[in-house]
Amino acid sequence: MSVINLEGIYTAYEGGEKAVIRDLSLHVDRGEYVVIGGPNSAGKTTLLESINGLIKITHGRATVCGLDVSFQADEVRKRVGYVIQNFYFDPFTPFTVEQVVMMGRYGRLGLMKRPTKDDYHAVKKAIHLVGIEDLARKTIGTCSGGQQQKAMIAHNIAKEPEVMMLDEPFSNLDFSAREYLQGVFKELVRTGVPILMVAHAFDGLPDIPIHLVVMNRGKIAHDLNCTAGEVECIIRKECGALDKC
Amino acid sequence: MLEPIIQNNVVCHALEAMIFASIACSILGVIISRMNLSSIGFTMSHAAFAGAAVGMFLGGNPQMAAIAFSMAVAALIGPVSDKAKMAADATLAVLFAMSMAIAIFLISYMEYMGHGLSASSLLFGDVISLYREEIYALAAVCILTIIFIMVFYKEITALMFNMKIAEAAGIRVKLVYYVLLFIIALSVALSLNIVGGLLIFVLLVTPASIAGQFCFNVKSMFVAAPLAALLVSAFGVWAGFEFTLPVAPLVALLLTGVFALSVVISFKRRINTKIH
Repeated sequence: MSVINLEGIYTAYEGGEKAVIRDLSLHVDRGEYVVIGGPNSAGKTTLLESINGLIKITHGRATVCGLDVSFQADEVRKRVGYVIQNFYFDPFTPFTVEQVVMMGRYGRLGLMKRPTKDDYHAVKKAIHLVGIEDLARKTIGTCSGGQQQKAMIAHNIAKEPEVMMLDEPFSNLDFSAREYLQGVFKELVRTGVPILMVAHAFDGLPDIPIHLVVMNRGKIAHDLNCTAGEVECIIRKECGALDKC
Repeated sequence: MLEPIIQNNVVCHALEAMIFASIACSILGVIISRMNLSSIGFTMSHAAFAGAAVGMFLGGNPQMAAIAFSMAVAALIGPVSDKAKMAADATLAVLFAMSMAIAIFLISYMEYMGHGLSASSLLFGDVISLYREEIYALAAVCILTIIFIMVFYKEITALMFNMKIAEAAGIRVKLVYYVLLFIIALSVALSLNIVGGLLIFVLLVTPASIAGQFCFNVKSMFVAAPLAALLVSAFGVWAGFEFTLPVAPLVALLLTGVFALSVVISFKRRINTKIH
């Protein structure tokens, strides 16, 4: 059974004239690397936020890890890592990178429970994996945009998610950091965690089979399997045919 | 509680009340300032003010009515913000205006009908005429606030960091947020008789702002803010009685003075100009 099953889902914002996601079906299996591309306003971020229940699904059925998103959104979010697209932490944010990474585990821990040795171990491991040991004690607001992005990736890795969703995770990162983190994600995929990544730049994708989803106007225009090297070419071609990327 | 140390009952009650109110409000103030909910101070204080006016109008207990009305307003903030898709601050402004309108309407109506209503104690507080029960209630709220912070510490800090990220992490954001609003409402409503609706803002925001000038992490802010509030309030009560000055405004001025001083001497904002 697929880890993510979307059957004809619709998602609409309150007051919106029409549904942002329309009659969308998608199946993602364990260990798949899904790249979601398409023009602006295609509904890519909305799709990710529908999967973890941050945005309400109005019609259709969505299950993640066997849980119905419409009725068990809290449980779904405990199992799904989600690196959001835009964030900014002001210089006076009173939390260190280490504390922010630990927050990734809070949902799983549950209300009123304190972090245990295992949690501290998972945090240490995530910080090491992303390569930000030197930032651990630094307050997050004093980190650069790229460092904050790495911290948020570590925050979600520390969660030990069953699904990892990334919304333009490399927008502030240089090429070497992108390549390094793609290696981290490749390792996650190898362990069976499916990755769904929304992106506009496709350089440095890992050399593994890619499940490519091209979206346009709230629908999936193309759902196909390809290699990392073919992704940019296909997206450019499809976007050119669909709309301007 | 402090009777064995302070013989004068009035001074003793005033000091106890200021201590409990300043600790509870300043701890909550750390959360409020970080979550950009500063306007919750005047919304809640005016909700309590409106509630007290309703209580007086109906011939009931103004204090109880103030608490009930504040709780009702607190219960509205979250759902109204969610439903109207507005920032909590905008919802707070709407509820503030509603509370003020109710209070002014009832006070004006009672004056018109010949029933005098003194609003001054609600607006400016009256620290020297407190009942023992009110101090016990404040002590209870103070303890409740500390317990709440200790029990939900990880959830609260995640909310203070970023609500959306906290929600995506699987934290039950709404539950903790709504409980937080209730405790703020309760603290404000009970503190209203001490510092009044106009000065409650000082206890909520200023100690947290002082702590913010020196603290790099949230844990130290939760210690520094009540400590600053406690010391300044205790000094304010002593100075107020010693030199026959109005206690609540004096505490407010002292806290503002300490904040100004802390801005000047804060090492947090210093720029390292060393080349090597």
